[in-house]
Amino acid sequence: MTTATTTTEPTGPATPAGVPARSHATLSRLTFGGILRSEWIKIRSLRSTFWCYLFIVIINVGFAALASWLVGAGRGRGPGSALSTAGGPAEAIGIITAGLTLSVLISAVLGALMITGEYGTGMIKSTLTADPRRFGAVFGKVLVFGISSFVIGLVSLVVAALVATPGLNHNNVSFDWSDGQFWLALIGGAGYIALVGLISFGLGAIIRSTAGGIAAGIGLVFILPIIGTIFSALTSVAWITNLIAFLPSNAGGKIYAYGAGTSSVKDGLITLDATQGLLVLLAWAVVLLAIATVTIKRRDA
Amino acid sequence: MIVAENLTKRYGERAALDNVSFEVKPGLVTGFLGPNGAGKSTTMRLIVGLDRATSGDVTVNGKHYSQHRAPLREVGVLLDAKAVHRGRSAFDHLLAMGATHGIGKKRVEEVIALTGLESVAKKRVGGFSLGMGQRLGIAAALLGDPDTLILDEPVNGLDPEGVVWVRNLARHLAREGRTVFLSSHLMSEMAQTADHIIVLGRGKVIADEPVQTILARAKGDGVRVRTPQASQLAPLLTQPEVTVTGTAADLLEVHGLASSRIGEIAASAGVVLHELTPLDGSLEDAYMALTADDVEYRTTSAAPEAIA
Repeated sequence: MTTATTTTEPTGPATPAGVPARSHATLSRLTFGGILRSEWIKIRSLRSTFWCYLFIVIINVGFAALASWLVGAGRGRGPGSALSTAGGPAEAIGIITAGLTLSVLISAVLGALMITGEYGTGMIKSTLTADPRRFGAVFGKVLVFGISSFVIGLVSLVVAALVATPGLNHNNVSFDWSDGQFWLALIGGAGYIALVGLISFGLGAIIRSTAGGIAAGIGLVFILPIIGTIFSALTSVAWITNLIAFLPSNAGGKIYAYGAGTSSVKDGLITLDATQGLLVLLAWAVVLLAIATVTIKRRDA
Repeated sequence: MIVAENLTKRYGERAALDNVSFEVKPGLVTGFLGPNGAGKSTTMRLIVGLDRATSGDVTVNGKHYSQHRAPLREVGVLLDAKAVHRGRSAFDHLLAMGATHGIGKKRVEEVIALTGLESVAKKRVGGFSLGMGQRLGIAAALLGDPDTLILDEPVNGLDPEGVVWVRNLARHLAREGRTVFLSSHLMSEMAQTADHIIVLGRGKVIADEPVQTILARAKGDGVRVRTPQASQLAPLLTQPEVTVTGTAADLLEVHGLASSRIGEIAASAGVVLHELTPLDGSLEDAYMALTADDVEYRTTSAAPEAIA
């Protein structure tokens, strides 16, 4: 690294440019709007954010495109087949959101990185000296990250729907863009991506290490449901099955399904509807972020 | 103006800071000196609220750091060069920091120019050398044009030119009436930069006085005499209150006698002198003496020069 070339000039620091006239009356101060702008600059100036968001878009769009053509082959749909009835919007949404299971993992990784990246590099010290009360810094970060992920999620799912249309038409699966339920499912999918990111952000803030944060986020969203399902299948115990219904992935699955059905308790087994799924997912995010905020506020940085 | 009152910080059983009180006044460069692990960085982190004191209190211009409406305009702080995300460019880092306080691109470009980072400003910080990281940290500290500057080991990793630059910058900022508080574990560096020195050892203030006072006390009365006729000169110099030690065959160290007097004695005896040097370089020794009992990580047998 060559610094020497540029070091000669500022040797005399008495340059008026360095320390301009100070007039406290016109000086700006710390504001929440400023914090939001700062977090937006931070999120768009990191390569990791860019790559994670790009992967989310590629996975959502790619899976939808692939599934839209494969659905006919897989289900024996076609002329002469016994299952040749045309598919409706519920099936279309299933295909358009085919990538969510995977893309949501990227969101979990990114969510943890958003905060553990600051702890790992020491950036958190700069962030918290700029906003020593800390609450605004955490809330600003959550807001900017949550909205960014939601927008990316929604755009990726709309593009996925557009890209999937030719394949769906070919396989006689139809949906209607003017259908409010259809949009609700897309918005639900975007919300699922954003909220899983925030759940992972909360875990990352509590754990503070990148590896630990990512492991916890993926563990909660991806591994825990698998383990639960295994135990549920082995033991057929109702409470395990019911517990799984309240995990982020299962509750989240309800909010991006088309007309997710009604809630019920049948034979002691709980089924959530879309609204309840959203509330459960929100509860996960809110509780974890609340714990995260308290820990960030109380711990030495 | 920074006022610390009875600051104590404990990590478990170990007290990093033990009842530390001091004032850092505006218009002066105040040096914060102490061996590694003495608690300098901890103190600085407590000032800007990154760590919470176990007990005691510290204020900047009468308020806790977090109570200021524009903290970055009140206090600029360089804690260590690693308070930056490695994946972000220097420019974006400063822009994001400034944005919280409505500080715009113009000021960011000013501090980049001031710290000589123009050529690397758009590069990712991960590739920066220690010296460039220090410059970026100083740029961030200057961003809000603050009344108070807190710089933890600012010359660490800088080339000699950079060291001079930081020294001039600190003195210039103090002349403008700002409060400048900078830490170092090097006495020689502080002696050239600071007006006032606070020495910390094992979490306690062991000296808090103007640099002249420390310098005056440190000034030794020794004289180094190099002569081929050392054995002839030594008995001539010996008298009550004077000690003469032969450090080499042709070398004497004399205490209690002015160099002028030694020269006269040598001349009258016809002794040829090759060197006659008053020893006032014992500043480090004075510092070592001050902190001798308070060094946390001690080398067992190394000469003092090696540690200094």
